[in-house]
Amino acid sequence: MPSSEPAISTADLSKRFGDKVAVDSVNFEVKRGEVFGFLGPNGAGKTTTIEMLTTLIPPSSGAASILGFDLRSQAKKIREKIGVVQQQDSFDQGLKVETSLDIYGLIWDMPPDERRKRMTELIERFGMEEFRKKPTIDLSAGQRRRLQVGREFMHDMDLLFLDEPTVGLDPIARRSVLNFFKEKVQKEKLTIFFTTHILEEAEYLCNRIAIINYGKIVQIDSPENLKRRFGSAKAIEFKLLEGTSEQLAGEIGQVDSVTKIVQDPENGSYRVSTMKPEIIIPELYRMSDKLGLHVTSIYISETSLEDAFVSLVGNSNQENSKKSEVYSN
Amino acid sequence: MNTYVRLTYRNLRANLDFASLFFELIFPIFFIFVEGPGLGGIAKPVNLGDITVPYQLYLAAGAVTLTVINGGTNAGTQLWYDRKNGMFEQLLMGPFSRAQYIFSIILATLIIGIAGSLIVFVIALPVLGAHLQITLEGVFFVGAALFLGTILFGSFAIALSVVLRSSETFQIVSTFAFFVFLFTSSVFYPANQAPKAIQVISYGNPLTWTTDMFRAGLFNSITPTLSLEVITLPIVAAAVFGIAVLAFRRIRVQ
Repeated sequence: MPSSEPAISTADLSKRFGDKVAVDSVNFEVKRGEVFGFLGPNGAGKTTTIEMLTTLIPPSSGAASILGFDLRSQAKKIREKIGVVQQQDSFDQGLKVETSLDIYGLIWDMPPDERRKRMTELIERFGMEEFRKKPTIDLSAGQRRRLQVGREFMHDMDLLFLDEPTVGLDPIARRSVLNFFKEKVQKEKLTIFFTTHILEEAEYLCNRIAIINYGKIVQIDSPENLKRRFGSAKAIEFKLLEGTSEQLAGEIGQVDSVTKIVQDPENGSYRVSTMKPEIIIPELYRMSDKLGLHVTSIYISETSLEDAFVSLVGNSNQENSKKSEVYSN
Repeated sequence: MNTYVRLTYRNLRANLDFASLFFELIFPIFFIFVEGPGLGGIAKPVNLGDITVPYQLYLAAGAVTLTVINGGTNAGTQLWYDRKNGMFEQLLMGPFSRAQYIFSIILATLIIGIAGSLIVFVIALPVLGAHLQITLEGVFFVGAALFLGTILFGSFAIALSVVLRSSETFQIVSTFAFFVFLFTSSVFYPANQAPKAIQVISYGNPLTWTTDMFRAGLFNSITPTLSLEVITLPIVAAAVFGIAVLAFRRIRVQ
């Protein structure tokens, strides 16, 4: 494939199941060597999009090119060049971990020497030494997940689809797996199409992110730009010696630059979303003095991708419900 | 390595429960060495066209074909395990076509069915040995019966596992179907000596055709219905295979 050609390119790609539109005319391009995040709430159309791009289900309309091959007419050529880690578990229940890796390499026609080499590397890299002789049916959910992700690297590929690959992994295993993906991108120029509900993962790994809701792409940009454009800039978190003050919360909520104030029900701290923390902090101290309250801790946190995500999906939900109202009227 | 070989090897290794396979072999052996001799004292010898054989021998030959239907059930089980464990989708996103995948299941089933039949046949040789009349035509009948029977029952089990969505239902329905095929076939008794209603069902039962062809091959015996069975078995096997392929193509991924 010429390196200038996108790894994925879609044109009005859609999928309908009866009356329900699961994916609605999506258009995007994924560059070669890029990690492309595909985020959205449950039922937004992420997995259906992956199922179409991996040729598992045919699109209802529209077109796509994967690694330069046409999605409809060159499906087998696409499948020869891609790897897929599904959201759902997939394992050969009659096999032990080692054999499972070996046979997966075999069905991809990897030579025996290469299979042995990769098996050793992956068992070590994915921390599978202690259960390498165990039947896959006896593995815990996390162990099975490590096997499923590791197994995909038993064969070569140009493009890897990862559909929530870290579900069920502990934080250490998760970080290790994400680092492995990063290495593959840096060293082997692997392209990754990545979906997750853990936004920190997307921020850590992705060059660009598309946000999908109700089957439509809402926004595509880099994580930094999404945060800058759609996040609430900064959040101020503070705690009161007195615990709670509805009056203070109400007064701060009235200040112009404050977009939201919420109290954490667990630790009682307040979180103020604002574009201008430099105005709000002195105002907060002034108001608390006036009310005889004592601020015991305060700090400013950067806006998160989650803020941007919530904001974008929230707006998209509102637009969608407005459309529904128009249609119902 | 050839795609079919790779996939078939994987099916044999990944989806076959060797304990189940062992008991599938024990089942016909039990009929040959326990049930046959037990009933041999009260059951009359059976006429097979131009020859008559003791009941024990009649049953032993029928019992070998049991492995055909057992092997066929394995085809459905292989597909079912792949669907249950997410490997069905995983393989369809691999460098294979749906056709290659389903053919690999049929190939694995053929290996199990034919190998199982041969093992049981070898074990049953002390019973069958003295009466065997192997001819070239007979070898063809034996081979065709095992091949076509496995294709037919394997395809039937695949279609069943596509239609039935829970593993419990699949197990119950396939076990029930197994007993219907078994007890209305000529495995245990000759169809022409059964009551009229059972006779009709038995003559329409593919396991009867398979068993009759197999016996014809072993004993060089030509029954009146054999020529019709030789024509019908491949046609019905091809039709059921076609239905299985169509059903398989309609599987909705998870």
